[in-house]
Amino acid sequence: MPSASTARVPVEERLFSLVLALLATEAGLTKNEILSTVQGYRQRFVVDGDNGNLERQFERDKDDIRDLGVPLETVDSPGDAGNNQTLRYRIPRGAYQLPSEIRFTPEEMTLLDLAARVWREGSLSGESRRALLKLRSLGVAADEPTLGYAPRVRLRDAAFEPLDAALEKRLVVRFPYLKPGEQAAREREVIPLALVQYQGRWHLSAEEYVDGGRTEGARKMFLLRRIVGKVTTGRPAPERPGDHTATAVAGLEEVWRRGIAEVEVTTDTDAATRLANRRDSERLGEAGPGAERLRLHFVDMAIMADELAGFGPEVLVVSPPELRAAVIERLEEAARG
Amino acid sequence: MAERPQPLQARDKLAFLLSVVPWLMDHDGATVAETAEHFGMTPEQIREAVRLIAVSGVPGETDSYQHEDLFDIDWDAFEEHDEIQLTHLVAIDDAPRFSAREAAALIAGLQYLASLPENAGSATLAGLTGKLSAGASAAPAPMGVEADPAIASALALIRQAVERGVQLDLVYLNASGEKERRHVDPLRIESFDDDWYLRGWCHLREAVRTFRLDRISETQITELPIEHRAADLSLPDRLFEPSPQDLEVTIDIEPSAMPLIADFIPDGATSSETGGRIRTTLRVSHYHGLKRLVTRMSGVMSVVGPESARAAVAAWAQAGADRYRETSR
Repeated sequence: MPSASTARVPVEERLFSLVLALLATEAGLTKNEILSTVQGYRQRFVVDGDNGNLERQFERDKDDIRDLGVPLETVDSPGDAGNNQTLRYRIPRGAYQLPSEIRFTPEEMTLLDLAARVWREGSLSGESRRALLKLRSLGVAADEPTLGYAPRVRLRDAAFEPLDAALEKRLVVRFPYLKPGEQAAREREVIPLALVQYQGRWHLSAEEYVDGGRTEGARKMFLLRRIVGKVTTGRPAPERPGDHTATAVAGLEEVWRRGIAEVEVTTDTDAATRLANRRDSERLGEAGPGAERLRLHFVDMAIMADELAGFGPEVLVVSPPELRAAVIERLEEAARG
Repeated sequence: MAERPQPLQARDKLAFLLSVVPWLMDHDGATVAETAEHFGMTPEQIREAVRLIAVSGVPGETDSYQHEDLFDIDWDAFEEHDEIQLTHLVAIDDAPRFSAREAAALIAGLQYLASLPENAGSATLAGLTGKLSAGASAAPAPMGVEADPAIASALALIRQAVERGVQLDLVYLNASGEKERRHVDPLRIESFDDDWYLRGWCHLREAVRTFRLDRISETQITELPIEHRAADLSLPDRLFEPSPQDLEVTIDIEPSAMPLIADFIPDGATSSETGGRIRTTLRVSHYHGLKRLVTRMSGVMSVVGPESARAAVAAWAQAGADRYRETSR
């Protein structure tokens, strides 16, 4: 039984001691050796007794340590492969340490500091906070930037975290997806390939399974905002090599180039200023007194219609007709209240 | 059952312990204050970590954590002078690698920064992505942030003004639709996703103001020296501070759309469920912003009250719809 002298060891002390013990061993330690000797476990270890709770604690600790980027390895005993009792754990020093050629200049540190500060919410803020601690370990101080920047990327889609975790673990995912114009969400099963924020919205590039089990091999883009329910992870996803982030961005750029709308904006209004300041906007000249015609690009017709409807009477959609109809529908709905 | 520790907190502490040891090895005799400053932590957090390191180590030959198996520090220097000297080292000799997710977060963050004009096509940025990947324990998850370079020209001008220490001359169309020429001392660039803002001292209003970059036009650099610097002013953390003149509006909204309006919901607002939608309170500075917001989200949100707010939205949307009646005639 634990007594006052073996008061509970803080979590970080147990994890730190585990990392130190596994870094110090060449041959590795068996689970039993770890539980009976390492600080934080040994206090709770029962010789010849039931150590089930402690073993489960060790399993969780292993996950936590690996999540930190510590390469915790298992080594089978020679001649006794697959035996859990003789399996050995260790952290190879070479795989643990930052390679000596990876060092950063003060200028690079400034950029990395700023890159880390982009994430202020969700799990990525924790990841970048810990990455910064590791960078600080190298002892390089950042340059003082001339113009203060506070760039932030938001992670407000509930689907982001589970999809990010599934990408990391390379798992197939399922989620209910509501396409615009459809009454009910439909369950999708996909191989996630990349998460990309484009035009301020998070997209998932993925390969969808059809007819249960067979993928079409074609990539689809899903807007995280339209994932209307729980994301569940399933079996390991088949390997899909390639730079999926770059491919996804290139695909979205192509959709952006092809998506063209022509509108008339009333001069000196919010619509005139902001739509003209939009990326790739083209001024096509006057459209009668106090009005100007603009050519705009967009990725998603429904989202574009939302944005244009918000400008009320300041903008008139000329083409395409589907966009025009979608804007009218939104305005009429808002007018009804 | 067994304890369920807060994993985030413990993981942060572990990351710090593994990071601070190699740094202390290179900075023999660093003070607690210096260490705290370098790692962005409090002196007490540093002392707590040093006390833990000093009694930590490996089980050793005897499996019993003998003195030679543990880290040791110069306790006198630590307790009397707040200085940290590691006098015996165990197991660790270099900085740890990044996890795949840590590297992915930084790489995506860098990609977002690539939209800043001074970073456009930067070899430093490209090189950093490679270094981070090589310094991670596994391949970083595929994640990217592609930001809009539309405002790049405005950003470049703002940066020039900062470098020369001069005011900007710009035309700003505010959220209520008033267009005014203003002189601004640029203080800071802020952004949320694809929305970019300039925080600056406005000489017209004689106060710090936030300007949306896509509402700015005719930006020019002047010869007038700036009168205010970011260091001399306290910039509030929030871009838009609530004001006593703000109006409160009751709305119904689809639960899935709630995150989109989070910025407008005041602290402590209550919400209830009515027919699958959430009824809650929005705080807006005026109806000009409200009517645009609600019309943009007409499929998922509607105004419940007050009547003046309902009327403002309905009139705005009706005026928009009427334009199509005129043109299709």
